Amino acid sequence: MIADRARGRSITRRGLLIAGLGLMLLAGVYVLALRFTPMEVSQGLAQKIFYLHVPAAWTSLLVFSVVGITSAVYLWLRDERLDLFAASSAEVGVVFSIIMLTTGPLWAKPIWGTWWQWDARLTLTLFLFFLFVGYLSLRAAVPDPGERARYSAVVAILGFLLVPFVHLSVYLFRTIHPMPVVLKPSAPSLPDSMLRTLLIAFAVDLVLYIGFVTARYGLGLLAHARAAELEDRPDA
Amino acid sequence: MHETPQNAGYMIAAYVVTAVVLVGYWVRLAMKLRAKS
Amino acid sequence: MANPLRAALILAARDIRAELRSRTALTSALVFAALVLVVFNFARDPTRLGVADLAPSALWITFAFGAMTTLNRAFGIEKEHGALDLLRLAPMPREAIYGGKLLANLAFVFVVEAVALPLFVLFFNRPIWHILGPLLLVTALATIGFVAVGTLLSAMAVRTRFAELMLPLLLLPFMLPPVIGAVQVTARLFADRPLSEVTGWLRLLAVYDVVFVTISVLIFPAVADE
Repeated sequence: MIADRARGRSITRRGLLIAGLGLMLLAGVYVLALRFTPMEVSQGLAQKIFYLHVPAAWTSLLVFSVVGITSAVYLWLRDERLDLFAASSAEVGVVFSIIMLTTGPLWAKPIWGTWWQWDARLTLTLFLFFLFVGYLSLRAAVPDPGERARYSAVVAILGFLLVPFVHLSVYLFRTIHPMPVVLKPSAPSLPDSMLRTLLIAFAVDLVLYIGFVTARYGLGLLAHARAAELEDRPDA
Repeated sequence: MHETPQNAGYMIAAYVVTAVVLVGYWVRLAMKLRAKS
Repeated sequence: MANPLRAALILAARDIRAELRSRTALTSALVFAALVLVVFNFARDPTRLGVADLAPSALWITFAFGAMTTLNRAFGIEKEHGALDLLRLAPMPREAIYGGKLLANLAFVFVVEAVALPLFVLFFNRPIWHILGPLLLVTALATIGFVAVGTLLSAMAVRTRFAELMLPLLLLPFMLPPVIGAVQVTARLFADRPLSEVTGWLRLLAVYDVVFVTISVLIFPAVADE
């Protein structure tokens, strides 16, 4: 993988710019969700966590799929850049997973009366987090770049295949053990205003993902360039 | 029709945590760029 | 070169012979089984928690632990003798290496399960003859599920510095669908529920096995090759 520092730097800066834009848009989403979207009267203000938790969850799932698919293509083409992209995506995925895992219980406690429930959504949340963490831990534990790329690709592909099974298992479990709820969660048909806010929040998360993954990728190129320079430098 | 539950605290916590995580990650990446340039 | 199946069986036989000599995985798994039995029996209030409530969980915790212990040692023999790379150089198709390891690991775990199950029957005082068939089926299906993935993951974990930590961390998400399914089926069997209630789970387990064994066989070369 050819990388020079300048390219790495410029890509990173571009990524940070996009992510910075994303953060400003996020502020806009906050205002939209808190002031301009009607409150769900039976659930109170806590329902608004929905606009953060659900997009983060969708983004995590999307990112995880990207990591899985990119890894599969990597194993086929063996292009290092694919590996770097997968690793960068995974790191961003962990960030969104953390948001998902913290906002989830914060939403569940006031709405369902319990911090945690083994329903499809939260269980999958936990799984994704474990898979991301496993992927990144494995990468950290394998020093050789080629081996690291291959091994983490294997884990990513396996994890990607696991997701539908987790979903099915929880679904099978749920159809027999309906979960008690303290307050009824939002009605199946979401009012347009809420749906709009939700989708806008998701779009902003996507902007953040693109920005962050670009920045992380750039940093990876930078690190690679520096490592290559150290190798080439003749001993003093 | 019961009254609206007062659970703003949870909402505030969630919104704050999200902001902190995302801004914090941005700052971390920016600092890494500065360190490596 | 000898056909892959035969190569796999030879490799499996060698592993089994080696384990028979040292028996560490088997011993620790059995000690754990005994521990689980004792704890579960003394920790529950017999008037409120029936045997059928706890036995399936206790059983599967034991089986899962037995599998984990076995898998930790799966490539341990090669690692101890610095033979990991020799395995890679052997003129065997990669799939056969995986197959051999898988068979050996399955054999070990089945032995642990075969010994633990009668112990459970004894101490939980639960007759199982009438459900033996389905019980063996669900045990086989679930075990194949997590041992298939575990064998693949242990091949990678063994090359990292914290192998004993890495393997459980990586394997945990992959153990959950088989174990959840297995506990659900076992619980229903112990409660004498009709078989029609468990076919859904058994199908899920079977599909899981087919998918993950296939993918593991196909992907193992990526782990084994340079």
